[in-house]
Amino acid sequence: MLGGLITSKVRFVVVGGLAAAAHGSSRVTNDLDICYDALDDDNLVALARLLARWKGYPRGIDPGLPFIMDDRTLRGAPILTLTSTEGDIDVMDRIAGVGPYADVRKHSEKIAALGVSFRVLDLPSLIKAKRAAGRPRDFEHLPELEALLALSKRKSAT
Amino acid sequence: MTARQFAVASAADIKWITNSAALLRRRLRYNTSEARWWGFVRLLTEAIGLPLKTAADAATALFVARQSSMHVTIGADPSQSASIVVDLARYESIFLGNLSRARVHETPKRKGRPPRVVAGRQALSSAHRYGIDIGLIQSAVARTPAERLAMLEANSLFLREMRKKSA
Repeated sequence: MLGGLITSKVRFVVVGGLAAAAHGSSRVTNDLDICYDALDDDNLVALARLLARWKGYPRGIDPGLPFIMDDRTLRGAPILTLTSTEGDIDVMDRIAGVGPYADVRKHSEKIAALGVSFRVLDLPSLIKAKRAAGRPRDFEHLPELEALLALSKRKSAT
Repeated sequence: MTARQFAVASAADIKWITNSAALLRRRLRYNTSEARWWGFVRLLTEAIGLPLKTAADAATALFVARQSSMHVTIGADPSQSASIVVDLARYESIFLGNLSRARVHETPKRKGRPPRVVAGRQALSSAHRYGIDIGLIQSAVARTPAERLAMLEANSLFLREMRKKSA
């Protein structure tokens, strides 16, 4: 999925479980969460086209209902939780506790992994986002992320 | 469906829904069809600027007529020189997107004060008390992001294979 996003020239930052794993979390995640630049029309169109090619369809909804995956739908519903031929993907124009794409990008770092190079939300911002989401599953993840942050700081200090 | 999920599905503020329901004397029921109806009323009042009562009547008319066509005219002047046409397929797509988000993301929040998660120097001992394997975290920190994500991919592939075999 990451390769597809990069090839389609989508401007995005990886957030959520995959970002946590990139920082060292041991939790296994099966979906990809990204924050995309919603202010750039070309980016919106590129992302919508890619999601349409992947047959993006809302997760948890009965199959077969009319769903048009294009940039107009993305403008109307900027946060989408989709299932696709490539796997589950959540796309959002902002992250609770961090802000819109511009702020998310500011608090991200570039990494090279899985054969591609992309940006992931940094650990302190990931912790802020988990706190702001306020769901039990997010709170359950916090002790591990806080411990990772403490260890990373200790490692960079030495 | 909780009130929060209902608000997300209808892309409206819960206070606006509550106040509008009182103005329209409409009983609030947190279900999918009501979320679809309220979402459309909100769209007409916010984006088109229709008065609440007119928007509510139009939404009711729309959902009665919805079987026949994907483009429905919900209002016109007597001469038919001006009318409001709804692209129902588009509205349905946006509504399904919001409904999915409500179901997947907006799971009920924990009631009361959030649990205290210790940050900073005490974070490690706090995580250990919580039951986190600190050795696992230490070995993860020693790896590069590329190595961590390669491990994640291997683990998730293993889990997928296991699920396939057990199904």
